[in-house]
Amino acid sequence: MSTVLLQQGINGVVLGSLYVLVALGLTLIYGVLVQINFAHADVVTIGAFAAYFFTFTFGGNYLASIAVALLVGAILGWLVNAAIFAPLRERGSELLPLIATIGVSVLLQNVMLLWFGPIPYAFDSPYSNQVIRLWGGTFITGQNLIIIAVSTLTIALLYAFMKFTFMGKALRAVAQDRETAGLMGINPNHLIMLTFVIASALAGMGGAMLGPILVLTPFAGTTVIVKAFAIVIIGGFGNVEGTIIAGLLVGLIESYTTQFVNPGLIDIVVFTLLLMMLAFRPTGLIAEKREENV
Amino acid sequence: MSSRDHTELANPFDRSSVSRRWWLLGAIVTIGFLPLVFQDSYWRTNLVVCALNVMLAIGLDFILGYAGQLNLGHSAFYGIGAYVSTLVITKLGLPFWVAFLCGIVLAGAAGMALSMFAVRLRGHYLAIASLGFAVIVHQVLVNWISLTQGPLGIYGIKPPPEIALPGLPVISFGNSANMFYLVAGFALLFYVLLDQLVRSPIGETLTAIREDEVSASSLGINCPAWKVFAFGAGSAVAGAAGAFYASSVGTLVPDAFIITESFTILAMVIVGGMGTLIGPVWGAILLTVLPEVLRGFGDLRLVLYGAALTLVVLFMPGGIVQAAQIVRAQFDRLRARLEAG
Amino acid sequence: MSDDISGRVAGQADGRRNSDKVLFRSKSLNKSFGGVHAVRDISLNIPHGGVFAIIGPNGAGKSTLLNLMSGLYQPDSGTMSLDGVDLVGLKAHRRVRLGLARTFQKIRLFKHLPVLDNVIAGFHIHHDIPAWQYVLQGTAFRRDYARCRDEARKLLSFVGLEERAKARAGSLAYGEQRMLEIARALATSPRLLVVDEPAAGLNAAEVEKLLDRITQLRAGGMTIVIVEHNMDLVMKVADRVLVMDYGQYLFEGAPAEAQVDPGVVAAYLGA
Repeated sequence: MSTVLLQQGINGVVLGSLYVLVALGLTLIYGVLVQINFAHADVVTIGAFAAYFFTFTFGGNYLASIAVALLVGAILGWLVNAAIFAPLRERGSELLPLIATIGVSVLLQNVMLLWFGPIPYAFDSPYSNQVIRLWGGTFITGQNLIIIAVSTLTIALLYAFMKFTFMGKALRAVAQDRETAGLMGINPNHLIMLTFVIASALAGMGGAMLGPILVLTPFAGTTVIVKAFAIVIIGGFGNVEGTIIAGLLVGLIESYTTQFVNPGLIDIVVFTLLLMMLAFRPTGLIAEKREENV
Repeated sequence: MSSRDHTELANPFDRSSVSRRWWLLGAIVTIGFLPLVFQDSYWRTNLVVCALNVMLAIGLDFILGYAGQLNLGHSAFYGIGAYVSTLVITKLGLPFWVAFLCGIVLAGAAGMALSMFAVRLRGHYLAIASLGFAVIVHQVLVNWISLTQGPLGIYGIKPPPEIALPGLPVISFGNSANMFYLVAGFALLFYVLLDQLVRSPIGETLTAIREDEVSASSLGINCPAWKVFAFGAGSAVAGAAGAFYASSVGTLVPDAFIITESFTILAMVIVGGMGTLIGPVWGAILLTVLPEVLRGFGDLRLVLYGAALTLVVLFMPGGIVQAAQIVRAQFDRLRARLEAG
Repeated sequence: MSDDISGRVAGQADGRRNSDKVLFRSKSLNKSFGGVHAVRDISLNIPHGGVFAIIGPNGAGKSTLLNLMSGLYQPDSGTMSLDGVDLVGLKAHRRVRLGLARTFQKIRLFKHLPVLDNVIAGFHIHHDIPAWQYVLQGTAFRRDYARCRDEARKLLSFVGLEERAKARAGSLAYGEQRMLEIARALATSPRLLVVDEPAAGLNAAEVEKLLDRITQLRAGGMTIVIVEHNMDLVMKVADRVLVMDYGQYLFEGAPAEAQVDPGVVAAYLGA
């Protein structure tokens, strides 16, 4: 029994770290812009497809394809910001950018559908079938190990970046108070662009690693995005530590629910948790009160 | 004190209600003629779908465009209306119109519950909460197999029962023309009801809430209560659409109510013109009819919706209504120039 | 000032303008945000009629006190009442029905709506026709509608904006927007009007006009609370002042005395 518990725990951490990668992007964007990029999910999907085609059509190295997906993600992030968020920022509407990104998301998904078709792509990385035995009778596939390794490294780097470098601090400054940051010589627009690029690069990377373990269709992103939202809310919009914890939590919940309850109920469990969170602690697990200035 | 002294204060209702009556008449006549123009069952089904979409769009617009609440879960109320009304007939054996009422009431109640739950949540949080709600509802429909038969769906749903009035021929709703008249008639009814509300102090109140809640409270407006009201009204209309959907299509599967449906309805509202009531009507008609006309290009329907939504938000956020106003302004300018020169 | 709006601006006190009678009373109000104790043990008595000013340097807690009064925040401890009715726990919109109206320091108009509609929004609590009438819109509805528009125009002319009734509120000059906010607040028929830093951002001529309107309101019997940090302005128009600093009570009494009170002088000069 404890083997099963441990095994699911490991699977949960794997899943969780992927969710964190995706959710971090969302939370970074929200932190800086107070906007939700609905098309974030599709960056994940596109990242997965990019990695797939790089590996199988161009015969590249799988690990290199993760870097390719990162790049593709970064470019997409740049595009979305330049085309949508930057122009709409002038108008000052709170909800219009969100709606625009919903449009982009629907558009991207269905263009991918037309191009790639609805049949799932079998994305087997060379590590998918490598099995490594761990303690207590559990095991982990090579793929999952890579996921944990790459995710942890990335998250740690990002965390260090945010906390210790000038750029990172500048990002946080812009998140807190855009005007003042501007007065201190930081160009908010450049920083916002940087945020988008980083966030989408993370998403692309997440997609490359998710490809082999998810059902790869143009809609793969959707299954992840709504959970990513849940994670961002549970962890607190704009809160990096909270997102990390919430992501791992959701991964574990999903893993244990699949094992001990009904896999079909995962979404219900996660979203009920989300709604509970919104009801009782809308600012997230690690609450950072943002007082509205009247 | 009498308003009769100032001509500009003369009740504008008198003027516009005349033109509104003409529009109403025009709408009734158009509805009357459409099934005569389109005799084949393919297009008649589209007409019914169009009427359903109009109902969904004006309901969502009441919540989003007037009360300013970003509701991304409208598909859930649609589904609740459809399943509740169908199950009331099949499991409880109650007549159609009772089931119809049940569908409306339960969808409305769900909308109010969601709103009460989300009452303290600002824009983005509400959007996600409503999305989460829609996912939960969809998953419940898929997984509660003993009740809904899950993904297999419910088949053989009968249309509303015949209406036999003395002296008149029996009206059977198996006839697609009659079905269209029924659905379109209700769509028109709901439109008129919502329109009256919108043109009253209730509409002003909702607009105030949409523009600035803190400000609105400082004027005595009980914002949470009114938001719940708007949600209830909009979702009740969606419930009615659901009931009609089930009885006109005859088959009910949970996947008809996935969250993508919410986005397509949203697209109709935005493309038509959020914040006006007639805008979503045009948006619904355009986005229902256009993909059918372009059918030769493959299943481009959703690509079209996505592109339309994005482009409208970026370049013409007021939608069709705004575009029409711009065109009219150009005409007026042209006419003025012609008259002057 | 015409008789027609005097009813609206007389503060609808029960006829008597008894300046001894207290309209708003608070005792030991406290409010903290995280580590900041914004309002400390504030007790005040605002008499019926007249202009009561709450002044203090920036950061003194004036706006917080105002937000406590209007219901945007709930106090951590202490009591408040309006004409004997307990306010603690009462939501902001309910206080408006009791007769407490306010404006905001950062102007919060409905910028996309026409000027007239902004004022009409204030009549929300005073529509006296049953809800079903909104759907059927018969004669009673039309009469009420006309009445509202009438009264709104009168309020606009009181603040000098009747020409701009149809303009978009956001297109008004800053000073005009302030006056519109006041007109909108007056539409709720308040007994107590609380104005938050009304002079901020106004030029000298606009300030004069503002003071003139306030004086007229006072003459009509309205009780007005002004929150300001500009002392000179307030001295011209206030009957009584409360001076705050660091959230605490510094001085309460006549304006002339406030100006020479050593504690007040020190606070303003930072000695």
